[in-house]
Amino acid sequence: MKFSQATWFLLARIGLTVLVGAFAGWLLGHVFVGVAVALALALGWQLLNLFLLDQWLRHRGSRDPPDAPGIWGEVVSEVVRLHRRKRYHKQRLLDVFRELRRSTAAMPDGVIVLNRDWEIAWFNRMAGRLLDLRRRNDLHMRINNLVREPAFARYLEAADFAEPLTIARGSDMRTYLAFQVVPYGAEQHLMLVRDVSRQVALESMRKDFVANASHELRSPLTVITGYLETLHQDPMLDLELQGPISEMLRQAQRMNSIVRDLLELSRLDAIDKQSDGEPIDVAAVASMLRKDVLAHARHPAVSIRISSDALLLGDKEEIYSAFFNLVDNAAKYTPPEGSMEIHWSVSDSGEGVFAVSDTGIGIAAEYLPRITERFYRVDAGRSRVKGGFGLGLAIVKHVLQHHGARLEIQSAEGVGSTFTCYFPAKRVLHQVNRVSIPAVAEAPH
Amino acid sequence: METADLSHHISRRFNEDLERVRTKVMAMGGFVEAQLANALTSLIEGDSSLGESVAIDDIKVNGMEISIDEECSRILATRSPAAGDLRVIVAIIKTITDLERIGDEGEKIGYIASRLASMERPENKYREIKHLGRIVSEMVHDALDAFARLDVDSALRVARQDRVVDEEYEAIHRQCITFMMEDPRTIRRALDVMWVVRSLERIGDHAKNICEYVIYMVYGKDVRHTRLEDVERSLREAAPAKS
Repeated sequence: MKFSQATWFLLARIGLTVLVGAFAGWLLGHVFVGVAVALALALGWQLLNLFLLDQWLRHRGSRDPPDAPGIWGEVVSEVVRLHRRKRYHKQRLLDVFRELRRSTAAMPDGVIVLNRDWEIAWFNRMAGRLLDLRRRNDLHMRINNLVREPAFARYLEAADFAEPLTIARGSDMRTYLAFQVVPYGAEQHLMLVRDVSRQVALESMRKDFVANASHELRSPLTVITGYLETLHQDPMLDLELQGPISEMLRQAQRMNSIVRDLLELSRLDAIDKQSDGEPIDVAAVASMLRKDVLAHARHPAVSIRISSDALLLGDKEEIYSAFFNLVDNAAKYTPPEGSMEIHWSVSDSGEGVFAVSDTGIGIAAEYLPRITERFYRVDAGRSRVKGGFGLGLAIVKHVLQHHGARLEIQSAEGVGSTFTCYFPAKRVLHQVNRVSIPAVAEAPH
Repeated sequence: METADLSHHISRRFNEDLERVRTKVMAMGGFVEAQLANALTSLIEGDSSLGESVAIDDIKVNGMEISIDEECSRILATRSPAAGDLRVIVAIIKTITDLERIGDEGEKIGYIASRLASMERPENKYREIKHLGRIVSEMVHDALDAFARLDVDSALRVARQDRVVDEEYEAIHRQCITFMMEDPRTIRRALDVMWVVRSLERIGDHAKNICEYVIYMVYGKDVRHTRLEDVERSLREAAPAKS
């Protein structure tokens, strides 16, 4: 241990006091009494300083620091310094904290901090306004006691927060709120709330427009196609006109199928609940699809593999249109010398698996994530030649969503692609134990 | 040390039980609210399949009532709650009865809506029902909010709203009678409309009942069958009961 200068001074002063006491005692004839008195005086002095220091520390806010000499002075100034530093850091933290709170409060989105039991720990101003929360009453309240929409309760219970939840609220059901839950920390959750009424209104306007426009386009197109068909078959037709007429007929038919796909999509859009469905014989559907492919002039070889006699529960028309789109795509993009296979099986986990694989041109990896988007085409020029409009896979995606199923795409450019639909186990109906058929499946069709 | 820990444990479990039942009640309330909203939508927009689904889904409300009732009996039997806790349980048992009735009225509206959907719609597109429906839906919503927050002020506000509903009911009643006298062909539809309005008025009463249970929970005071002014005066004097 290294003594500071002040400590040496203190020791020297005590030594000096003792020496003076001893000398005075020696003069009076009692050396030890002199030393004792000197020590007592020194101790009294130190105690006085200690008392002053203690008093000051207790009432630090209101009093000036005591004017103490020597080591006591050093202690006082050290305390003052520490105190100042602490105050400085506290102020800085407080500033940062206030800034943080101000910024989250000013956020245009509602933010709610929830604990493990979905109790509200904190929320910002916007969340209070959107959900009608009150700062004083609603802390430590379970959020599902205040936001009681059944869909919201299901969302929290399912604990699957990959997709945000949108629900209609308010007495006129015109306010749409989107909820997004982000888990963080020790089982805490951050809930973001956004008012998406405008987006929902725009979205529904868009859907309405597409549905109405396609509907309105259909009747004139039917008339045009009808006349063109008659003209096309007319043997008296001018030779010069035959080429243009058949081209016009082909284009009109293309437009017809675009409109049909658009209508199908907007119909699928309008249904937001899963279809209960009826048992579908996948093998029969597959052979029907095969016939469709073989009807084309130039087609690849098509084989069917049925590894399970299980039936699929679903909406017959929707499923057919989804499978048709998959098979039709495969046929379009596979050269006649290639081959394709339709495969139906039940996986070990009980999922129904419908796969269409081909040895066609394949899809490059960078296009895969976007391929199910509406009107998205890998190569616009190429697919137009094949008669594609970029709607087929969007239809497939929608149908699979209605059936709680998912689509997986494996593809390598130049080697071929495999489109696989996985249907949840509850949609797979095994023929052997018909006893376990759910009630909906028994509905006559 | 050990005994203190034990009692703490018991009360924590008890709290969890109570909280779970309360959350179940709120979930039931939310479902009933949605049922009512759907029933009104199906009527106003003439959506018969929505009305039918409301009528079918009422069975879920009944199931919820039974399950909450059982849970309450279990808590009463095993925990023998006292004071505030007992009042909460009693209030819950009463509240779910009223919620179930609201569900029943919603079912009726849904059923009538699915039938009215196939009939000619009046020129004003059921504007008066829309208006009354909005007031009543808000009452149910606010009553459940008051129940969740144990908020007596809101509860009183909702209870006061019941008078507006009664006035509105009276007005639509007269209007329907006028229509029927003017044109006897509308009698059938007007009678159906009367049933819907009657159901809405009953729902308002049930919402008011729920508010009275909130006051009972907080103050320990039974304010049923008492004039609203008397209730307010006596509440101003009384302090919240200790729980």
